[in-house]
Amino acid sequence: MNVYAFLAITLSCLLTACGDRRSSSERFAQDGILIIGNNSEPQSQDPHKATAVADGKIISTLLEGLVRPAPTQDGEVLPGTAERWEHNDRADVWTFYLNPSAQWSDGTPLTAHDFEYAYKRLLHPQFAGKYAEMLYPLLRAEDFNKGRCDWEQVGVKALDKHTLQLTLSGPTPHLPRLMLHFTWFPIPKHKVEVLGGMLDRRSLWTRPENWVGNGAYVIAEHRFNDYLSVKPNPRYLRAAEVKNRGVRFLPIVNGYTETRMYMGGKLHITNNVPPEMLAYAAAECKQDFCRDPYYCTIFYRLNTSRPPLHDSRVRRALHLAINRSALVDKVVRGAGTPTVTFTPPGAGYSVSAATEPNTQAEREALARQLLAEAGFDGGKGFPVLELMTTSRDVQRVMAETIQAMWEQVLGIHVDIRSCEWTAYKSAQQNMEYDISSSSWSGDYLDPATFVELWRSGGGNNCTGWGSAACDAALESARATGDADERRAHLQRAEELMLRDLPILPLYHSERTYLRSRQHVNNWQPRLLDNFPLDAVEVKP
Amino acid sequence: MIKLIFKRLAQGALVVFVLETITFFLVRMLPGNPFLGERKLPQHVMEQLNSLYGLDQSALSQYFNYWKNILTAGDFGPSLVREGLQVSDIISAAFPVSLWLGILGMSIAVVLGIPAGMLSAWWKNRWPDTLLMFAAMLSICMPAFVIGPMLGKTLGMHVPGLSVAGWDNPLCALLPALTLGLINAAYLARLTRGGMLEVLSQDFMRTARAKGAGATRQLFVHALRSGLLPAVSYLGPAFAALITGSFVVETCFQVPGMGLHFVNATTDRDYFLIQGLVLCYGVLIVAANLVVDLALVALNPRLRTQGAA
Repeated sequence: MNVYAFLAITLSCLLTACGDRRSSSERFAQDGILIIGNNSEPQSQDPHKATAVADGKIISTLLEGLVRPAPTQDGEVLPGTAERWEHNDRADVWTFYLNPSAQWSDGTPLTAHDFEYAYKRLLHPQFAGKYAEMLYPLLRAEDFNKGRCDWEQVGVKALDKHTLQLTLSGPTPHLPRLMLHFTWFPIPKHKVEVLGGMLDRRSLWTRPENWVGNGAYVIAEHRFNDYLSVKPNPRYLRAAEVKNRGVRFLPIVNGYTETRMYMGGKLHITNNVPPEMLAYAAAECKQDFCRDPYYCTIFYRLNTSRPPLHDSRVRRALHLAINRSALVDKVVRGAGTPTVTFTPPGAGYSVSAATEPNTQAEREALARQLLAEAGFDGGKGFPVLELMTTSRDVQRVMAETIQAMWEQVLGIHVDIRSCEWTAYKSAQQNMEYDISSSSWSGDYLDPATFVELWRSGGGNNCTGWGSAACDAALESARATGDADERRAHLQRAEELMLRDLPILPLYHSERTYLRSRQHVNNWQPRLLDNFPLDAVEVKP
Repeated sequence: MIKLIFKRLAQGALVVFVLETITFFLVRMLPGNPFLGERKLPQHVMEQLNSLYGLDQSALSQYFNYWKNILTAGDFGPSLVREGLQVSDIISAAFPVSLWLGILGMSIAVVLGIPAGMLSAWWKNRWPDTLLMFAAMLSICMPAFVIGPMLGKTLGMHVPGLSVAGWDNPLCALLPALTLGLINAAYLARLTRGGMLEVLSQDFMRTARAKGAGATRQLFVHALRSGLLPAVSYLGPAFAALITGSFVVETCFQVPGMGLHFVNATTDRDYFLIQGLVLCYGVLIVAANLVVDLALVALNPRLRTQGAA
């Protein structure tokens, strides 16, 4: 390109930009394209390498599993690539019948072998799938993943091109909900094999120029750290039902920037309004401000292997001394529901905490009494503990508030250690902390995604706490195919954990974001924030 | 001059090598690893990933392999967090953005800062000097995370064509460049003023005035060349810093440049990406300093004799 051509193009771009007074959100809405804030640059579009929520949102538009989420009702599951399925009485053998019309975006027929291939790849010990645990409900999947058996012994079998049989290690009546997670999606065997093979983690099959999927969209363009846009897949099974002409995901990490961009007409839906901006955003964008329940709990982990936190009276005293209502009102500005339980309500599940005094004054009196019983009357002789948080503003302020509450009510002092994320996570996972701020979001809409955390020695337990009775309740939940009985076992397990309190539940968080009611129609809140984007209508 | 260039290049190569070596070992001493996530990885998965990327070898062995791959194959390694992407892919996508932004920002800084410094020195202790230096001090004191959002909220939202944030049209670069430019303009103004004041008080300037030279001639012909020396020394490293991106400005304006990677790669422990970025930054700093050295020699004849000696 010569200099004159370059200048001409630049000038015409500038004139175009100056000439078109419409905002980006108006221009894209005119074209039927949704622009959405997506928190961070995706790690990968490969469902076997991705782990972040931001990745999941994109992958769910590009690939479709055997089932798909219903746009009408949260938690309801509709046929996806499978047109129907059945299971035996124990709900441990499931047979899925694929839609014979299903095909990949390049026209290759999609078969049960693609699913078998995908599950084998994620579980393969040499592939090192970070989210392989999601497939552990499959019979002997964990053994295969750890190199203790052959693939033939795993409960995945393509009976023919259109029939997939899954044998599970126990009754799993909630399997369809589990399968909404992207780890259960298929990958195009024919494409992956050509571009490096099953075990090649550096395979380039997810690059836009190589992309082949079976979801409602295909990748149109990806500009690193700028945007990833998807366009409708004409070979999608329900292509006629897709309500918009594409989605553009913007990886905006900073909530302030994202809110400003929304107000400047750059977005149709944001990912998150930070607590400090809630009042401002609610006042400025009255109609567009949304506050929805989210399947996530904010809590503090206690390292029960260290004194004095090994004493359940001390843990309960710390628990009772926290004024959760004040915390939610003042620190997170109401973007949550104070709680003394762990699993957020939803999916027909709720749990009652151990009996506690009603008023905060009574709770604080009991906290002082328990601390005295543990040998620290008025906080005397109580060692200085360290409260570890991430460097996020809201976490630091929350830690300072709780530090003050404990000092005021119990007369004890804790030091706050604010760490950057990886150092914080490393310390937490290696249990190099006393008290650690934590959060947990559900992978699927079922209480097990929360309660299973507290299994003795579980990878994400990270408190040193374990209880044989809790483990037994969790095993009983796994062993039964009856949904009510299963729920009762999970409730029992959570109640046992809450009796011992290896954690201090603080609040169930809410998702606060902005959505343009002018341009976005047919949007419904979801506990997992997984509303199918192909069902969103974009109005000019 | 050639001798000076070769000497500086040799020194620069050594600096970059030492910088890269220190970075290599420092990042591996940080707590955590690139594969840490919200959920704890099973031990066998962690071992497999470490083995796949050679992180299970000794640090010394990794170090030699790293240099071997660069020198023999030009391979700067893969991103450990965004698997499938090479470090060179990430840098080559982000660098043009930062380069463009850096050039614009530095142009704004030079156009605003140097004349402001000259005028300030000329009208020393009079109201234009006070006003300009007050503005410069204000700009230095106000961090980018205040100036950036303020510009975005005022100009970005209300001036047609300008953008509150984002990188979807050519005009999107203006406000982030202005933010970068204002901060650097303030430093340049103060440095230019200092340099000019020193020159303006020298004997040869008195002689020029005595011989009837006008203000323009005094400033541009006699004073500017020597008065710019401090500002030129600042320009090199500042330009290198600008074109390798600014985390704050890129975050405020959602610019897909290099600055974001510097911080994110460190917090993510993306070892190869950190090393690639440090290498890139080191080379640019060395190159910018070399250009500055040559410019100083061109501007100041006394340095030529020192350089030759």
